[in-house]
Amino acid sequence: MEKDAEIKSLQEKNEKLIKLMSVRADIVSISAHQIRTSLSAIKWIVKMFIDGDLGKLDTEQENLMKKAYEDNDRAISIVSELLLANKTEDIVEKKYEFTEVDIIELIDDSIFDFSGEAHAREVEIIFLKPNRKFGYVLADKEKLRIVFQNLLENAIKYSNAHGKIFIALKEKNDFTEVSIKDAGVGISKEGKDRIFEKFFRDTEAQKKEAVGSGIGLYTSKKIVEGHNGKIWFESNEDEGTTFYFRIPNFKSKE
Amino acid sequence: MSKTIFIVEDDLFLQGLEATKLKKEGFEIQTAASGKDVTKVIELKPKIDIILLDLMLPDMDGFEILKMIRKEASYLNTPVIVFSNLSEEKDIEKAKSLGINEFMIKSNFNLDELATKVKEMIGQ
Repeated sequence: MEKDAEIKSLQEKNEKLIKLMSVRADIVSISAHQIRTSLSAIKWIVKMFIDGDLGKLDTEQENLMKKAYEDNDRAISIVSELLLANKTEDIVEKKYEFTEVDIIELIDDSIFDFSGEAHAREVEIIFLKPNRKFGYVLADKEKLRIVFQNLLENAIKYSNAHGKIFIALKEKNDFTEVSIKDAGVGISKEGKDRIFEKFFRDTEAQKKEAVGSGIGLYTSKKIVEGHNGKIWFESNEDEGTTFYFRIPNFKSKE
Repeated sequence: MSKTIFIVEDDLFLQGLEATKLKKEGFEIQTAASGKDVTKVIELKPKIDIILLDLMLPDMDGFEILKMIRKEASYLNTPVIVFSNLSEEKDIEKAKSLGINEFMIKSNFNLDELATKVKEMIGQ
């Protein structure tokens, strides 16, 4: 009887927590939207000043406006990072739901999602799609999407303008291996041992992008290992980085 | 003949900035700030070459507005850029399922970049 009451109490607390998490997620999403709307207006107005659309600026005014534009962009990045951290935390904490996932379709979708950002940074994404269909893995689709998006977003952020990112797949007996190769800033010698630590940001990454949460790779590793997979990388400073991960293939019951 | 952009955006200040910039680039502009406004515009069946669509509007969301526009045969295949500050996975998924051509997060782009994207998609 006591145990039943305990179980019931725990279930009620769990449901309350789930509701609170949902409310919190909505508040974050709505607040982010409102902040972004204001930051968009500032971005566009300041750019109009810089472009001389509202009259010619003297040198000092122009420099101040450029600084304002950069700092506004930094605020925009921070909002995006907060949103990503918020979303990631929610998804990672949820129970794994394993199904058959078409990894090629997932990669195509993610490339579409990031095409705008890649274009804005003048970075080209090249997916070396295999000639025949493979890559049906046993995965939690939402969590696997986060892994791929983290790695792709990093490849874009840390690439130089006109850089190319190559995405490839390899079929092995029991798993599918994905690689994402960039020719960007690379990971420092000192950073290589710590790159999967929570909140760690490599010095090379910080030089390229001032804003970053430092939880992307930590989360990706956690998720890949939750799939009985493996994640690793090869990197040289100023030459670029290739991240690899492998996920077990889906085996249908015959 | 100039191409026409239909800007669906409830923030009148942002709408004004977008319209001013795109007019300067040589486009004709139609605007709407709500689902109700959209209904009034499409009743007149103007030529529309591309739709620039916000997602959060006062009386209905951008997806419902798009479904409404697509009911009109002449706009069935009109290209659409979602131009919003929402970036939830569910919104992007829904956009793809409705055949939207591009999903741009407003705060990530300045108006020059928006104009470039529009020109890439429909010429001038």
